[in-house]
Amino acid sequence: MSGDASQTESTQRLRDALADGRLEQWRVPLGLLALVVFLRPVIGHEFLLNYPPFANTILVWMLFAASFNVLLGYTGLLSFGHGMFLGFGAYGAAIGLTRFDLPFTVSAVIGLAVAAVVAYLIGRIIAQRGEIYFAMLTLAFAKAAHFIANQNYGGLTGGSTGIVGVLPSWIETERGVKYVAAGGFQFDWYYLLGAVFVLAALAIWQIARSPFGRSLVAVRENEELARAVGIDDKRYKIWSFTFSGVFAALAGVLYAINNQGSSLSTLTVETSGDIILMTVLGGANYFFGPLAGVFVWLFSEEFLIEFETLVLPLAEYPLVRIELGGLLSYWQFFLGLLFVISVLVAPREGLWGLFRSGIGGLYDRVRGVRE
Amino acid sequence: MSDTATTARSADVVLETEGLTKQFGGLTALEHVDLAVERGELHAIIGPNGAGKTTLFNTITGALDPTAGTVWFDGEDVTEMAQEKRPHRGLARSFQSNQLFADLSVLENVRIVVQTARSGRFGLDLLGNGRAKYRDAAFEYLERVGLDGERTTLAKNLSHGDQRRLGIAISLATDPSVLLLDEPTSGMGPTETQETADMIDELQQDLDLTVLLIEHDMDIVLSMSDRITVLNQGEVLATDSPGAIQENEDVQNAYLGGMREEL
Repeated sequence: MSGDASQTESTQRLRDALADGRLEQWRVPLGLLALVVFLRPVIGHEFLLNYPPFANTILVWMLFAASFNVLLGYTGLLSFGHGMFLGFGAYGAAIGLTRFDLPFTVSAVIGLAVAAVVAYLIGRIIAQRGEIYFAMLTLAFAKAAHFIANQNYGGLTGGSTGIVGVLPSWIETERGVKYVAAGGFQFDWYYLLGAVFVLAALAIWQIARSPFGRSLVAVRENEELARAVGIDDKRYKIWSFTFSGVFAALAGVLYAINNQGSSLSTLTVETSGDIILMTVLGGANYFFGPLAGVFVWLFSEEFLIEFETLVLPLAEYPLVRIELGGLLSYWQFFLGLLFVISVLVAPREGLWGLFRSGIGGLYDRVRGVRE
Repeated sequence: MSDTATTARSADVVLETEGLTKQFGGLTALEHVDLAVERGELHAIIGPNGAGKTTLFNTITGALDPTAGTVWFDGEDVTEMAQEKRPHRGLARSFQSNQLFADLSVLENVRIVVQTARSGRFGLDLLGNGRAKYRDAAFEYLERVGLDGERTTLAKNLSHGDQRRLGIAISLATDPSVLLLDEPTSGMGPTETQETADMIDELQQDLDLTVLLIEHDMDIVLSMSDRITVLNQGEVLATDSPGAIQENEDVQNAYLGGMREEL
């Protein structure tokens, strides 16, 4: 019997550790490091995309998604205009560099500061509106930003072409691959991007697990109860919106290097919509969910486009005359279907939730742990 | 004006409403309610469905703005005070329906509230592991309501009765001096109801609470209360000791008698 008791006790201790985030303390930082280390070889593998620099794009979007999830996942706020903040970062960096001849880092910091102030002010205006008004107002502000950038007031934003062909002085390009050149050293841009990504993602994770972040979760779970126990939900929403905007702008700064400038597409409704879809597909409930969503989305897009253009020798085998290429050109349809299913089954769980419950079920079966 | 009025209030009265009125469109839910809750008492609010009991709680706690009238708490006019400030002054409530942080663990439900009570209604506290802070304090509240064995269970997976108890633990975690309990025994069987009543009694003694209680079970109300206020159609019919309330003819006609006949 004592064996049983210690069994349940150790199970309980494990549950406690899972519940208060002690395991997470190592899992998330190590997971982020592993992600950066393994992403590029995987993406670059000849059987997959065979194009290592695409890992850069994925990391930028992952940071964008992680920033967006501060709002959607942790605070329960759905913004339809988050591309606006990506744009602030990208345009801020590019405008400072080209129009004012500022060093890249200074322009980037200005971009982040502008994003922070604008996010805070917009947050103040819309934080206390109902869900649908919040969504509509974010959409409206993003539309306004798009309009302004498209109008090219004072020649600042470059209108519909955006600002192209811009790079900081310390970035060199060789046959399409970017290198950081600093103090006689030259290394692949991916490593600097990866380092910034890990630090920024860790900062987001720390915000989410801090006492501040737990209050956001309380607001997400039950606004009425949160207010009744003394949580100032409005201010938490405003600051959540601000942090989310700043980290999205940081993703925008990285975007500006990665894409050699800023394009109007950052400010479009499509961009804001894509980040919602990626986040929800991956699983807004989890820190790694949105990152998984970005990976699956962008990888499928790239991989299947590649696949379409491959000359498959299928026609040479008369028995297997399957028009695979034609079928795969509907990849967006299949991804959409996957999205719909994951929302219907568990709207906040996504692919990462599915993955975790799969692992958890396996673990339980191995350990013989019963609920 | 309010300064002189503040000092004129009786020191024994911790919570008071004066001419409290709440209208929803053309419907008057509360009509000029005068209520005085004395420090340390258990004061029950009874009345038929739709009498305005929960609306009274909502206007006292600030979840609803009153149409007219004043709410005094601890000698201060709190009528205009933001709802989220009031728990920090010591005014807490539980809800009639189970209001919980449904997808969080039982412990985390209470821990977040302890955190709020100790660090204020807003804080940019961005360091450390939030879920590890105040765990022990939160655990003590769970022990008080008998939920310590369920600490890792998700709130939404608790039984109805346990959810009611968690609701009480949450309101206790705000460290209140006055606790408003909205039908803490609703949906419970007779045994569970009695257990909950005993628990409230014990909590009141241990934590030195003033309790304002909405309750339907007449046996509980009559045995526990120091005083009872009867609401009917938004108006106070009577406020008195349980014995006197039972004798009161108006109350018998409007409420108790009607209820006995129903039974």
